[in-house]
Amino acid sequence: MGHSMAMAETPLTDFMPMEKKILLQAEGLNLDARIHGKTCRVLRDISFTLEAGKTLGLVGESGAGKSMLGRILSRQLPGGFKVSSGSLQFDGEDLLNASDKQHREWLGRRIAFIPQEPMTALNPVLTIGQQFSEHMQRIGVAASECREKMIHSLSEVLLPEPEQILDKYSFQLSGGMCQRVMIAMAFASEPDLVISDEATTALDVSTQAQVVKLLRDMQQKKGTSVIFVTHDMGLATHVCDEVAVLYAGEMMERADAKKLLQHARHPYTRALTRATPELDGDLTVLDTLDGQMPGVESFADITGCRFAGRCRFCQPSCEESIPDMQMLDQQHGVRCIRIQELQQREDNEEKVPHKTGAAFSDRHILSATNLSKVYSSGNSKQKDKLALAPMDFHVAPGEFIGVVGESGSGKSTLGRLLMGLEEPTSGEFKLNGHALGDDEASWQKRRSLIQMIFQDARSALNPRRKVGKLLTQMMDSRPHQRLERRERMFELADNVGLSKHAVGRYPTQLSGGQRQRVNIGRSLCDLPQVLIADEIVSGLDVSVQAQIMNLLLELRREHKVALILISHDLSVVRYLCSRILVMKNGEVVESGETHSVLKNPQHPYTRKLIAAVPPTDPQADWPLDIDDDDGSSGKMDGI
Amino acid sequence: MTAVYSSPAASDGLMPRLLSQVWLLARQVLWRLPMLILVSLIVFVILRAIPVDPVTMLLPPGATQQDIENLTAELGLDKNVVMQFLIWLKDAFQGDFGISIQNGSAVSSMVAEALPMTIQLLFFGFIAGILLGVAIGLVTFSYRGTRVEKVILSINGIMMAIPDYLWAIILIVIFGVGLQWLPFLGPVGANISIDHITGFLTLDSLLTGNWEGLGSSLAHLILPSMTLALVIATPIARMAYSSLTEVYREDYIHAAQLRGVSSKRILMFHALRNASLPTVSLVGVQASVIIGGTLLIESIYGLPGIGSLMIKAMRSFDMQVIQAIALTYAVTVQVINMITDLVLFQLNPRLRMQK
Repeated sequence: MGHSMAMAETPLTDFMPMEKKILLQAEGLNLDARIHGKTCRVLRDISFTLEAGKTLGLVGESGAGKSMLGRILSRQLPGGFKVSSGSLQFDGEDLLNASDKQHREWLGRRIAFIPQEPMTALNPVLTIGQQFSEHMQRIGVAASECREKMIHSLSEVLLPEPEQILDKYSFQLSGGMCQRVMIAMAFASEPDLVISDEATTALDVSTQAQVVKLLRDMQQKKGTSVIFVTHDMGLATHVCDEVAVLYAGEMMERADAKKLLQHARHPYTRALTRATPELDGDLTVLDTLDGQMPGVESFADITGCRFAGRCRFCQPSCEESIPDMQMLDQQHGVRCIRIQELQQREDNEEKVPHKTGAAFSDRHILSATNLSKVYSSGNSKQKDKLALAPMDFHVAPGEFIGVVGESGSGKSTLGRLLMGLEEPTSGEFKLNGHALGDDEASWQKRRSLIQMIFQDARSALNPRRKVGKLLTQMMDSRPHQRLERRERMFELADNVGLSKHAVGRYPTQLSGGQRQRVNIGRSLCDLPQVLIADEIVSGLDVSVQAQIMNLLLELRREHKVALILISHDLSVVRYLCSRILVMKNGEVVESGETHSVLKNPQHPYTRKLIAAVPPTDPQADWPLDIDDDDGSSGKMDGI
Repeated sequence: MTAVYSSPAASDGLMPRLLSQVWLLARQVLWRLPMLILVSLIVFVILRAIPVDPVTMLLPPGATQQDIENLTAELGLDKNVVMQFLIWLKDAFQGDFGISIQNGSAVSSMVAEALPMTIQLLFFGFIAGILLGVAIGLVTFSYRGTRVEKVILSINGIMMAIPDYLWAIILIVIFGVGLQWLPFLGPVGANISIDHITGFLTLDSLLTGNWEGLGSSLAHLILPSMTLALVIATPIARMAYSSLTEVYREDYIHAAQLRGVSSKRILMFHALRNASLPTVSLVGVQASVIIGGTLLIESIYGLPGIGSLMIKAMRSFDMQVIQAIALTYAVTVQVINMITDLVLFQLNPRLRMQK
């Protein structure tokens, strides 16, 4: 064990029950920012206590201010931001008023951070060893033992061949491996507090489960406290001891992590849980949460509860004054003035059963036989890369098909081949029973009947064109009447649930969810029969994700459109798709009805994917020991 | 830091590493050779396509047809262009660049005599330019977010618009004529003689212990090299500043700050190396600017380098000299580019790991 290098102040090297020691305590923390001459309260009245060895989860959608606490702790607030009142005690010392020198002493030694993007958090021109040894020397490891200690740390995070990792650069490792390196570095000083800011978000599901497990093991071994920032409530339930839900800079509810999911009391927490698709249990229609979170600029104008604008139970009294956190029991606090009366009402609400997108008929709109793709390496020394092994594929009207797999599994390649963005190595396509050739007429038919929706709406939409033009972009290349186009703009905007005003705006003036609506609406312009969607809901907040998923199902009912959904999120696929393809290393390892595949998976890889998703039952043991059987997650060559 | 942790390739064994370095160098030289030949060919063809006849220029007005034919044959101009070029190429590989039309001496010795002056000028110009540029970039960066930053950037922007010959005039007017601090004509003071050993005036005076000569030759170099330096310093400053700004937005800088690494160390160990990558590439591009600049600068400051030799040769359409100096310029640009490529290769592991 590397315990000899522990800081003298760290008494919790052995994990044993002892007197509760409070490591971090925040009281009435207010963070102000000056924006356009106005003072906006970015974080309002944040209070919590974090005991030594425990994990506090900060959950919220983008813009909730969940990363701000980490920035306060690290003193890296954006310009113009300032903690105006409240206190923050770190191990009995005043963290806010400590000198910069003292604070920097703590960083890396007693307070460590695990970043969101592990690949970019490592300097690309320095080897892992150079960066790690810099850290080791800073935390006071003698030069003579440095290498040995580094190798020990890297093997602790289960990295294979740690000696060789030291000589590698970050771009030679996979994301999961980089994150392990970051975790090894964070825990090397046996810190008292580790802040993990969306540390698993950028990773594949099974890698995420492994990293979470690793984080927990390390924490238990070293008795470290962790602040776990995430947007994923299910994940937080399993990782944390206590969870605080943030909305627009305010802590709306906080409770024991195991209890929060099922006993949520705040209307926002409840709405969030009801908008999250689940991987087991009955399929019910997801409740969407309309509107969007107010931006920081508008905080100054909100006098009452910040959630009031979107709350179903909002009353005039809600907007009058800032509600206080009411403690229901020792741990459970809720910031809502109507908490008592709401309790009965919500329990009576029943859930509507939900149906996934099944085929309307047996006819195949699009079918591909013997479709495959090989990327030639261009020289004889390296092997050609098989992106897609020969497969047959077909889609029927109104059928929603989910294609799942980890990055590099070939799921995006399949989508691009079907769309015709890439030339297949072999394979024939049939569109409505007619063979698709390479002539212009065939391409025209293909383009009008199959459309692709790209992942990132922000970069997929030309920021210099107005929404109306973007929606009807397909009309650019053919003669049309202005009036006709105008009419179509409004039709499409209406189809995807955008207001009339949105047509005259630029994409940058829209919210993320609205942009994704434009992105979807654009593909509908020529009434396609098949939509290919590459991870279109994965970057969205839970409440917006539910809106978009319901929109897709609505479009199916109205336009009989079929959807090929490429996704890594099994719950999303379960909610939308009637059929599922599981892909691994360019091969379809399992396919069938979504319901039966997820309930009774046959292939070990499918089982592994399912096991990697945090289960709905908060008491369930997760993550289980996932055997790292294949070398695919430990690829050394980078991408 | 590296004392503890040996360099990344140490485990690969010394021999393969050495071999790969040799191969790398060889490749850098080899692929540039055809380029140089191509440049020579283009210059060669252009010189012969221009409607100027060196033969009539050389002969007195009353020359006979026979005289013209004799001289044409003597100069080798009676063969076709391709033949002429091949002959020239063959000679050039042996270090023979022909005879100057102006004075009948060997072109190779004329260039060799003038070259040290130019190399000396380029050397000091380059060093001063890079140092000045990086210094301005760093100072600007250290004032980021303040008014000083904006002021320096605007001044730098204006300076970038000033061409080299204008800098020469400005510097001469201020420091030469106005303040009379520095000499601005010729390579060395009028009454000073320096023994010829290498041809580099500063080096020769240093070797012979001629302190007066050293002082004078250095003083005469200051204004011309500063002129060249200013031309390349401004874009380098801009690049150094903006790449540093960019690098400081990267996650790895943020991550290092979160580990409590001191700001000085972040700059030296993490940021500078990454920020230097685009800056070094820019230096390679600026090589052609600064080398082209010597042409005018040497004439303005009266330095007997290959730049003034070139101007003289152009006046009398001395084809062989023009051809040889054009090649010399091309080689110099390529050498500097090669050095920057190799430096980039050492700085950026992503280039090194590419197969």
